Amino acid sequence: MSNNAVSTTSTWAGGKSPFKVSYGKLMMWFFLLSDAFTFSSLLVGYGAVRYSFPSADEAMMEQVRQDIPFGTDVHHMFEHTEGGFVGHMVNEGVFAETHWPAPELVFNHFPGHHLHWPLMFVSLMTLILILSSVTMVLAVEAGQRMEKKKVELYMLLTIIGGFMFLGCQAWEWTKFIGEGAKLYTNPFGPVTFAALFFLVTGFHGFHVLSGVVINIVIYINTILGTYEKRGHYEMVEKTGLYWHFVDLVWVFVFTFFYLI
Amino acid sequence: MSHHNTPVDIHDEENYDPTVWVPKAHSHGTKGLWKTFWVLLALTIADVILYFTMPPSMGRNVLFIFLGVVKAAFIVYSFMHLTFEHKGLKMSIVLPMIFVVYLIAFMLKEASFWNYLNW
Repeated sequence: MSNNAVSTTSTWAGGKSPFKVSYGKLMMWFFLLSDAFTFSSLLVGYGAVRYSFPSADEAMMEQVRQDIPFGTDVHHMFEHTEGGFVGHMVNEGVFAETHWPAPELVFNHFPGHHLHWPLMFVSLMTLILILSSVTMVLAVEAGQRMEKKKVELYMLLTIIGGFMFLGCQAWEWTKFIGEGAKLYTNPFGPVTFAALFFLVTGFHGFHVLSGVVINIVIYINTILGTYEKRGHYEMVEKTGLYWHFVDLVWVFVFTFFYLI
Repeated sequence: MSHHNTPVDIHDEENYDPTVWVPKAHSHGTKGLWKTFWVLLALTIADVILYFTMPPSMGRNVLFIFLGVVKAAFIVYSFMHLTFEHKGLKMSIVLPMIFVVYLIAFMLKEASFWNYLNW
């Protein structure tokens, strides 16, 4: 018996991995658990602030939906109104500090035209992030079969998807800020509405950005053959866990900020 | 533990070296992954349709959050492979989520007093 020999009879006596998982992957899971708590606090906090205000009056909202149906050219319609579409909503009392704005009237832009397309752009962003999650998991699967070329291809597609999502978010923020949304004021409703929007989507967006950076590092390592030499592509799986988590958080950001 | 002059077998369960040990990877195919993609897409479309067809209410919010939890479960079990992990790891990740349920219950009770604060 060597000096280093340890008992392998009991699960927790040492000498083997109790969860049959590598150290790095286990720590990634625990980190994601802690990050899930962070985002839960932000989103539950958002829910609490949101419901300390009443919603927009439903009869008023019905009238707005009748006056401005899906696909209306709002730029043309409110050309002569000061402040355009947003100014009109403020004048009519649809946007006011006393109640929370309906997301369909705030997030109604789409690149390339001025038509009223409520929630369509954020749906597209969701689709982009889900698709990049699929390409990520395909990279993990290719790594399990030690197919270097496939891992490279799917990692590249995932990175492109990440940049597309970040581009969409930058465009949406620019639109939102251009309409007067700031951390300390906004024309849509209570101050906390825009402040929390920037805080939470910004925190998520920064996660996406760091995810893209990590994915680029893994992509370069894959090209250099680092994992081929190591004998396994577990690093791809670990960064994949992070990337899927970012997608998971987006599911709830979408639910809380754009639906509720 | 392996001697450092000899090459280390990274999959060796008998002579385990925690700094390099990693279980042998197995592919579970791509069929289930694509199924998850279609489920996520369908539920997101359902979200948007419900938003425009169902009048706003707390019940509708609960439905949206429920659909979100279903989507999250598909992501965690399929994309993140939790379904193929050891039972102990599964429980270590899923059971602590009870704290989030606690936080929601706590806030539902406490936040009703926020109406008395002027902010």
